[in-house]
Amino acid sequence: MAEREVSIVKVRDVLLVTLPSSPGDRTIGNLQDRVLGKMQETDPAGVVIDVSLVETVDSFFARTMEETAQMIALMGGRTVIAGIPPAVAVTATELGLDFGQAESALDVERALDLLTGASEVKKSSDEGED
Amino acid sequence: MDPNSDDPAREGKLELSSRTDVVDVRQKVRELCKSLNFSLSETTRVVTATSELARNIIEFAGYGKISWSLISEQNRTGAGAEKGLELVFKDEGPGIDDLEWAMRDGTSTGDGLGKGLPGAEKLMDEMDVKTDPESGTRITVKKWSSSGRE
Repeated sequence: MAEREVSIVKVRDVLLVTLPSSPGDRTIGNLQDRVLGKMQETDPAGVVIDVSLVETVDSFFARTMEETAQMIALMGGRTVIAGIPPAVAVTATELGLDFGQAESALDVERALDLLTGASEVKKSSDEGED
Repeated sequence: MDPNSDDPAREGKLELSSRTDVVDVRQKVRELCKSLNFSLSETTRVVTATSELARNIIEFAGYGKISWSLISEQNRTGAGAEKGLELVFKDEGPGIDDLEWAMRDGTSTGDGLGKGLPGAEKLMDEMDVKTDPESGTRITVKKWSSSGRE
C-alpha cells in the first residue's frame, strides 16, 4: 500500500527519505537497512527524513529515528528530520520524546539548505552587501 | 451523527495479534476522534496513546482486544452532556509485575517502551489499570471532547 511505503531518493548531495502518513512497524524497521545501504551506495553529505505526512509519532517511532540517526552518524553522515507537524510536536514533547542526535528543520527545503551549506552561503553574501 | 441515538456504531471491538494491527487500530481511533470533532492536537494525543498501549499488548502479551465506545456524561454544571471516547485495552498476558514502577515516568524496560504507560496517562484525561498474573491486564482510558485543554 502506497500510503505505508517509504521513498528514498538522492537530491543534490543529500539522501531524501519520505515517510508515509501511517508507517507500520515493519516499514519503519526496514527503513534503517535501506537508508544505510543507500548511503554506502551514493555517498551523500547527509540524510533528510521528511516526516511532514506522519500523523503519529510514538516511542517506537522516535526510538527508531534516534537509532537511525546514530547509525548514519557512525557512517559519517548528518541526519535532519524535516517537517514535524505541529500536533506531532505537541504530543512528542508531552511524551518526552526526542530524536537523539538528529537535527530538525521546518521543511525539506530548509533541511537541504542545512546539509548543503546553502544557508551559510546566503548569510555571508548578505553580510557582504552591508 | 446524534451521539445520543442508539446507533450500533457507538461501540465496537478490534483484535490485536500482530504489529500490522497497530496501524489499523490507530486508523480506527483517528476516525472515532474525528466523529467526536476532537481537535487535531487532541486526536493526535489519543491516537498516540492508543499506539503505545496497543504496542504494549503485542510486545508483552502477543494478543489482545481493544473495545471502544462513545460515551457521554452530564456536566457538573448541568449544562448538557459531555461527549467522549472510552477505549479498553485487554489482554491475557503475564500482567504487569510492578505497576507503580511501570507507571513512573522515564522508566524503561530497556526497549524504550517505558514511556508507554506514563505517556498514555499524560495524553489521556483518565486512565485506569487493572493487572494480575492470572487474568492479564485491562487498561481503560478516556478522553472528553471539552477537556479544557487547547
